[in-house]
Amino acid sequence: MIVRMLRVRIAGPRPVLDRALTLLQDLGVLHVDRPRIPGGTADPTATRTRRHVERCLRDVEAASECLHLPADARTAATPLTSPAEAVRRARRVRRRADAIARSQAALEDERSLLLRYREFFQVFEALARSELTWPDGQAFYVVLRAGASATLTELKRRLEEAVGGEVEILSRELSTGEWAVLMLASARAAPKVSALLSSSRIDELPAPAGIAEPNLMRALPAIKARLDQLPAALRAAEAERRSLVQSEAAWLSGLRVFLRDHLLRLDAQSQVFSADYLFVIEGWLPAARFADLEQRVLTMLGPEVLVSTIGAEDWRADNAPVTLHNPPLFQPFEILTRTLPLPRYGTIDPTPFVAIFFPAFFGLMVGDVGYGVALAVLAAVMRLKSKPATTVRSLSTVALACSSSAIAFGVIFGEFFGSLGGAIGLRPVFNREQAAIPFLALAVALGGVHIALGLILAGLSAWRRGHRREAVGRSVVLAMLLLTVVSLLAAFRVLPAMLFTPTVITIFAAFVVLVALEGIVALIELLSTVGHILSYARIMALGTASLMLAIVANQMVGAFGSVIVGAVFALLFHLVNFGIALFSPTIHALRLHYVEFFGHFFSPGGGQYRPFGHWRPAP
Amino acid sequence: MDMALLGLAAALAVGLSALATAWAQGRIGPAAAASLAEKPELATTAIILIAIPETMVILGFVVAVLILLGGGG
Repeated sequence: MIVRMLRVRIAGPRPVLDRALTLLQDLGVLHVDRPRIPGGTADPTATRTRRHVERCLRDVEAASECLHLPADARTAATPLTSPAEAVRRARRVRRRADAIARSQAALEDERSLLLRYREFFQVFEALARSELTWPDGQAFYVVLRAGASATLTELKRRLEEAVGGEVEILSRELSTGEWAVLMLASARAAPKVSALLSSSRIDELPAPAGIAEPNLMRALPAIKARLDQLPAALRAAEAERRSLVQSEAAWLSGLRVFLRDHLLRLDAQSQVFSADYLFVIEGWLPAARFADLEQRVLTMLGPEVLVSTIGAEDWRADNAPVTLHNPPLFQPFEILTRTLPLPRYGTIDPTPFVAIFFPAFFGLMVGDVGYGVALAVLAAVMRLKSKPATTVRSLSTVALACSSSAIAFGVIFGEFFGSLGGAIGLRPVFNREQAAIPFLALAVALGGVHIALGLILAGLSAWRRGHRREAVGRSVVLAMLLLTVVSLLAAFRVLPAMLFTPTVITIFAAFVVLVALEGIVALIELLSTVGHILSYARIMALGTASLMLAIVANQMVGAFGSVIVGAVFALLFHLVNFGIALFSPTIHALRLHYVEFFGHFFSPGGGQYRPFGHWRPAP
Repeated sequence: MDMALLGLAAALAVGLSALATAWAQGRIGPAAAASLAEKPELATTAIILIAIPETMVILGFVVAVLILLGGGG
């Protein structure tokens, strides 16, 4: 449900403003909103202060990233004794961390390049001895991308044309699929080979830094020696990083919290009305927290600071921020409603209704003990692997509710992996394989109940927000819906036939009232409401399709001659059906909520309640 | 009534509505994918939009069931 908010005003003498802001930040309950009071004096230093804080924070964040320091919610802010010194120190640490990170990256790059060379050399070590054919010659090392054998053939042909027999080409495929090519050219042919490679846009393997030896056999020991040195260099860089982490991590983390807090405080300060002698802070907070705020302000700031509620009548404030609070059982289902924008203040949070109807629809569609148990196992694994208050934990709770519903309806339908219910002693209370028409009627009736609930909520929401005409209109549509049901029951002699004519006349009269209230658009809305109810037929359609697929899977056991082959195919088909049973009913149950149900009462566009408090890193 | 004709009618009810759904989803799917590339936060809306035309084939399936059960019975 949407938490009821109060708009409050805190007014006091100007010198108390800093203490008031500190108290409000510590309390973390007030969503600060600028008072509608003209005038006031702006703080001329605020913009400059913000710029300095943001610049310092950029240094701190960059240094923290280089040093791999995670944001920790438990870190306390480091109070600044000398802001200028803190700014200088943050910059110094950032530069040092940056230099270490760059050095580590360069060493890693060098190592991976040399390892590539090493493979290259291992491939050619035996063949490369022929380099001595031209002791004063030059070697060209080229690595062609994977699958470039055609390029290699073309290169050989062009080299042959250009320098004849004064070049020797050795090629071998590397483990990565690339082609290592070694070209050994005489001193006379070397410039031509180089020009040809350049015109063919074939880049030579870049020479590793510090190893400029053109002769392959003489370069190899130098490369091996460098490879031996690199681990020690990397260890030294890592040790330097650790030393920097040890000396600066706590200070950096504390400074980050302080600066973030300070930015939040500057944001709040910009929303405060302040004049020469007084300040006024306005904002929203949950009604239940007002007494505590009033008490704390009185205790901490004294009687010269006044706290009062202003203006906002219940549920009618369009600009009030929105926060949801649902019982623990319903809370995980907020994940389904939060995929849409927040509802506007004063309207209705659909989460409790989703928590009841979503698993029910899912269960009606899947309706199988076997699939339900499989889903429950999946949900349990998700729950065990997830941390509290995470998206995966919420999803596991939703999946658990859906699996319970699928098992419950599976017992009612007598289904266990389709038609195997009898094998485990299940007796169908309602056999949906044979009773397709009653199942269809049940689905549509359920749709009628769901849509009627949507109309009731729409009427309540409109009434609460003062839109009486709209509220009456929704009630009339609801009455017409109920009367239609009565007239149909009377037409089919379920109710006394004498009721038919009066109900039809009343429906027409109600329609006239509806058009008078809402105009001709009411006709379209009425038709769409009927369409929405019929749309719930998908519950029956998807349920029957799922059952039929499961029955087909079971029939495979006897359809392939060998029982084992048939059983394997049946298992695979059940697996596919289980996958479909997870995806399709979820999408359609969601769609029934988002399109058919929410369409009647859900009013998106609420602003998020963001209380002014201390900074906390995102979980 | 001839069972073959009933079967044909049921097959047409499902088949034609499936074609219509496929055509609509074939138009909506690429547009939704293109939107998601720019705005991933529209994922829910995209899934809903893609699921909307499925109403046709679902209702086609319901009609087919009614034809088979009503005619056969």
